[in-house]
Amino acid sequence: MSNFNRRQFLQAAGAATACAALPRAASANTYGRVVVVGGGFGGATVAKYLRLWGGDVQVTLVEPNPTHIACILSNLVLTSALSMSRITLGYSALQTNHGVSLMQGRAIAIDPPGKRLTVQTPTGQESLDYDHLVLAPGIDFAPAPGLWDPNLTPHAWQAGEQTTRLKNQIAAMRNGDRFVMTVPKSPYRCPPGPYERACVVADYLKAKRRTGAKVIVLDANPSIQAEPEAFGRAFSDTHRGVIQYFPNAQVQSIDSASRSIVTSAGTINNATVLNYIPNQKAGAIAALLGVNSTGFVPVNPLTYATAISTIHVIGDSCAVPASDGKAVPKSGHMANSEAKVCADAILRALNGEAADQNIATSSACYSPITARTASWLSANFIYGDIYDANGKVKGKGMHRLDIGEAPGQRVNNDSYQEMFTWADSLFADSFV
Amino acid sequence: MPFPSKTISLIALSIGTVLGSTPAVAQVPPGRMLASQCAQCHGTNGQGPGFEELAGKSANDLYGDLREMKLRPVEGIMDRQARGYTDQQLRLIADYLSTVTPSGNAD
Ligand SMILES: Cc1cc2nc3c(=O)[nH]c(=O)nc-3n(C[C@H](O)[C@H](O)[C@H](O)COP(=O)(O)OP(=O)(O)OC[C@H]3O[C@@H](n4cnc5c(N)ncnc54)[C@H](O)[C@@H]3O)c2cc1C
Ligand code: HEC
Repeated sequence: MSNFNRRQFLQAAGAATACAALPRAASANTYGRVVVVGGGFGGATVAKYLRLWGGDVQVTLVEPNPTHIACILSNLVLTSALSMSRITLGYSALQTNHGVSLMQGRAIAIDPPGKRLTVQTPTGQESLDYDHLVLAPGIDFAPAPGLWDPNLTPHAWQAGEQTTRLKNQIAAMRNGDRFVMTVPKSPYRCPPGPYERACVVADYLKAKRRTGAKVIVLDANPSIQAEPEAFGRAFSDTHRGVIQYFPNAQVQSIDSASRSIVTSAGTINNATVLNYIPNQKAGAIAALLGVNSTGFVPVNPLTYATAISTIHVIGDSCAVPASDGKAVPKSGHMANSEAKVCADAILRALNGEAADQNIATSSACYSPITARTASWLSANFIYGDIYDANGKVKGKGMHRLDIGEAPGQRVNNDSYQEMFTWADSLFADSFV
Repeated sequence: MPFPSKTISLIALSIGTVLGSTPAVAQVPPGRMLASQCAQCHGTNGQGPGFEELAGKSANDLYGDLREMKLRPVEGIMDRQARGYTDQQLRLIADYLSTVTPSGNAD
């Protein structure tokens, strides 16, 4: 995605006079048009709820792929426990059940004063006029140090063809082979995801009796980033002797051809499988709005508006103001949650009303530890004062009211079964 | 199913009658957005698919259950989720869900 038109965007954003020169539809026709970019958990949900709650609002969803392949549950596709069709979600229900218009294409440029989006479709460029624009493009990867070819050493951190590649490499592992994976520097998509992957790959290698096979986890962070008790136990007990965990392993260089990786905690040459999960940043079309020091787009927590009040960013691409050490996690559940706050705020704005301040957002992740057991993580946020590390109020944002992982005795088969009820409910609430 | 390459919309057909009308947000029920945060696990409008159906339950029963789950020691994920809201928010959520028509698919 290198071909978005940054120059045109910046010109348009900078020159107020350009506004008058741009063609604009008659005001009678401009009422209540929302364009949504990206049909993942954030984009699908905001499109659905704008129509569900918005009566006559026109909503167009722009997405290049014919279906969305969810990352959620995709680690179980890696081990062949689930098929790819289980995580493949269509868009047709958004159209037939809710009247969302679909446009297949990739958003490549934004003209903020003209309120116009340019989309590259399979047949050429189209422009879409909007009153509000919602960007939900998920993540992009930071440049890899060294020679990284994701075809040889897949990330499988965006599900689909990458998932199949990694799955096939895991299936080809033999006795004594080494599965080497990296955990990106926080913040990244799905904090428990990498540790969950280590567990299910270890469990798979044991079930296949790959004697002496190892899962080596190279974590760029100083410690396990989510569910430390469940994963700590899994690494030191359930999967003891198979998983080897190294914290503070920042990647210095990678070479996909030889499957070698140099980190601040040590070097590994000739891994059997090298699952390099790179550091992450906002999707390129959202990054046009300006990013913070971690690479994500700061937003207003009441509306998800960016510095431009008619352009909103939700999901993995956005950075929500939060209390120090209590960041809002990047998850599909959270993207869905933010989408609803954003949809409500846009509908109120179209109606001349201020945003609701009595709001809450939440996240939940179920993490398989073996092919029969799972843990979970729950986090809840409400709007209000947010605090710095010393407990002093530093402003307004989404303050984390509660967080917790499954109590030890609940890391069991009941939780494993609940995982599917939750996923099906989340899939349907977002896409159906 | 393949994407249409041109924008098509069910609502485009009725656009003539739509002009000049106001969006449905004018009379937003107070607990609606808060209650939508339960839908990832209980279905849109609490009507499933998901865990227990919430739509159309009595507001007092819902509020009572939520308060109980909020205050008891954590067992399941619902005990955590209930801790994520103020009592005033739980009341709004319970009131809203009690007004939603049940799906008719309850077990
Ligand atoms: C292994 C793994 C496990 C996970 N498990 C969980 C879990 O248990 N629970 C949970 O809640 N989350 C989980 N997640 C995280 C979850 O997948 C993401 O947080 C979620 O997908 C974010 O939603 P989003 O809408 O921001 O982005 P996405 O869902 O990635 O959607 C972005 C969409 O935008 C499209 N797009 C990008 N650029 C453009 C453009 N220019 N024009 C048009 N379209 C564009 C893309 O094609 C894509 O469809 C997991 C992730 C991984 C990798
Ligand atoms: C992360 C998933 C999740 C979310 C989000 C969630 N729930 Fe639940 N809920 C559950 C589960 C799981 C159960 C079943 C609990 C059990 O049987 O122990 C449940 C059960 C319930 C029950 C029935 C309790 C009983 O004793 O019968 C109510 C009422 C309820 N939830 C209300 C809500 C409301 C209101 C919200 C939003 C504020 C919400 N839930 C959000 C997962 C969730």
